Amino acid sequence: MTSATGGAATPAAIEVQGLRKRYGPVQAVDGIDFEVRGGEVFGLLGPNGAGKTTTVEILEGLRQPDGGRALVLGLDAARQPDGIKERIGVQLQTAALYPRLTVTEVIDLFGSFYRHRLATAHLIEAFDLGERRDARTMQLSGGQQQRLSVALALVNDPELVFLDEPTTGLDPQARRSLWELVRGLQRDGKTVLLTTHYMEEAETLCDRVAIMDHGRILEMGTVEELVSRRFQERAVRFDTIPDLDQEQLAALPGVRSAAPEEEHTVLYSADVPATLAGLLEAAASVGAEARDLSIRPATLEDVFLALTGHALRD
Amino acid sequence: MRTLVILTAANLKSFVRDRAGMFWTLLFPVVFVLLFGMIFSGTQNPKYSVGWVDQDGTQASARLASAFGAVPILELKPGDEPTSLDAMRKGNVSAVIVVPKGYGAALAAAQRPSASPLGGLPGLPGQAAVKLVLYTDPSHQTTAQTIQQIVGQVAGVINQQLTRAPDLLGVEPRPLQTENISNVAYIVPSILAMALMQLGLFGAIPLVEQREKLILKRLGATPLKRWTLVGSNVLVRLLVGVVQAILILGIGATVFHVTILGSLALVAGLVLLGAATFIALGYVVASFARTEEAASQTTSILQFPLMFLSGIFFPFEIMPDFMRAVGAAMPLTYLGDAMRQVMVNGAAFAPLSVDVAILAVWLVVCLGISARFFRWQ
Repeated sequence: MTSATGGAATPAAIEVQGLRKRYGPVQAVDGIDFEVRGGEVFGLLGPNGAGKTTTVEILEGLRQPDGGRALVLGLDAARQPDGIKERIGVQLQTAALYPRLTVTEVIDLFGSFYRHRLATAHLIEAFDLGERRDARTMQLSGGQQQRLSVALALVNDPELVFLDEPTTGLDPQARRSLWELVRGLQRDGKTVLLTTHYMEEAETLCDRVAIMDHGRILEMGTVEELVSRRFQERAVRFDTIPDLDQEQLAALPGVRSAAPEEEHTVLYSADVPATLAGLLEAAASVGAEARDLSIRPATLEDVFLALTGHALRD
Repeated sequence: MRTLVILTAANLKSFVRDRAGMFWTLLFPVVFVLLFGMIFSGTQNPKYSVGWVDQDGTQASARLASAFGAVPILELKPGDEPTSLDAMRKGNVSAVIVVPKGYGAALAAAQRPSASPLGGLPGLPGQAAVKLVLYTDPSHQTTAQTIQQIVGQVAGVINQQLTRAPDLLGVEPRPLQTENISNVAYIVPSILAMALMQLGLFGAIPLVEQREKLILKRLGATPLKRWTLVGSNVLVRLLVGVVQAILILGIGATVFHVTILGSLALVAGLVLLGAATFIALGYVVASFARTEEAASQTTSILQFPLMFLSGIFFPFEIMPDFMRAVGAAMPLTYLGDAMRQVMVNGAAFAPLSVDVAILAVWLVVCLGISARFFRWQ
């Protein structure tokens, strides 16, 4: 069940160099470079319109790049998309592909597209869909549909799997069971590239992440690397005080940057005691107090917020 | 090729399991044919109820009754004179025939061989010996005339038998379809053309839906070839079109006796060409409609002028000039025209070859536009 690649250097599953794609006036992908190693779970994070989807579509052989190069499993995505499609698995957010076909029928159908395929019965068992094998896909629960969607992505036993926001819209229990499936893929030696809106998901699943915005990769590395590289600071969070503007807060002692987060304000501080004293004083000067005050270490969410200027879920 | 078959089977399964879709594509045209057929055939084969008053009561008058009863469009209602006339006043019968007393006796007298040529024959030339009384309502002109003619013919046959005069002048009936074809014969090929139009045009809606829900994108990420995907969609639509055609023509033939006069192969060819043209038009709509809602609105907006200005329900002759001009540009005009020409010898709007050529041009143009503008995601 493990990948056949033994020895030291695992060959790259994806190699991207100087990749560009423009739609009219919008430079969707603006010269990006990255590499996904074989057997790795790699997360691509970014707000909507950051260029994640376009990047993934080029890698899946669905779009032609304007410039640069993308090698997927050693094949050029622009020239050999058919060769790539045979060896990758793709899961999109939409699950109800053929609402009136049964689970078995849909898996059989997708299997028929490939030269090499796994047995339908095996997939049904692996994804715990046995009781629903004869149910029409429209009758499945959200979690079951998502499992089917991932099962379809694996029908050709791919070396590389693309997961597009695999847990969006799932309840916490279904989300955790899907995470377990993704870990299982990694144990089987498959490479996974996933896009997600959930920081917790990226922190739990991804060996490495890249943060994209405006068609560029802003930061790349393991979650720990990213957080520690960007943030020696801690986050001081409180209910936004209307009479204190962002500039005043950013000038408080120890504060490196300030950012709004819904109805809260977050100050990234290298000297928490000094920042707290300054904040309480500033609040008192306008006759207010800092409510719901909390202090915590910086997370990937904070990295994202600081880099892109908005929260990931926007 | 194997993938095409599997995908087509999957699409057919999806189609058959969609009850609402089945209703609209298969049952709706059938209901349409039945409804329109019944409306338009109401005056085609009338049956007249006729009051029958037998005052003679002999064997001869009974034979006369069975002679009238054998006329297919007459239905005799026996009764006495006052009741029958009352029934006619109330509109329950269209006419009343009275056989006077002495009818049998008069007939027997006429048949007596010894009767002398002059004195014996009760009747004189130009003047009948016995007169059947026929009540009709002159304000219902057609009915009155028809019944008078029938009664006159029956009387004529009886006169001839009695006098044993040899047949001098006979009539040999020969069928000839007039240009002024019956309403039902007009409506059946028209509804077939309309059903094919809807089949193709409405195909735009699931296509846009599949694009919106990223199904086309998901399929695009498999090794499945695009031509296989398109081929399968077209194949399913064509199959449904053929089933629709069989249903509509079957009902036309069995219920309304509209039989195909022309070549069946030609009809089949037209069904395929028409379906293909409108499927291509559906792809054009899907090329420009971004949402499923936009697609369904566009198809509804398109189908009404197509239906009403293309001579499908209203013949061209009754339309004002500008409407005719619009109709003359539309593909459904030529599909309907071709269908009527081939199926029921309908009056030609354009020669058949022109119909086919114009449909082919529409097909090619729509294919070109779709190939250029259709988006997969």
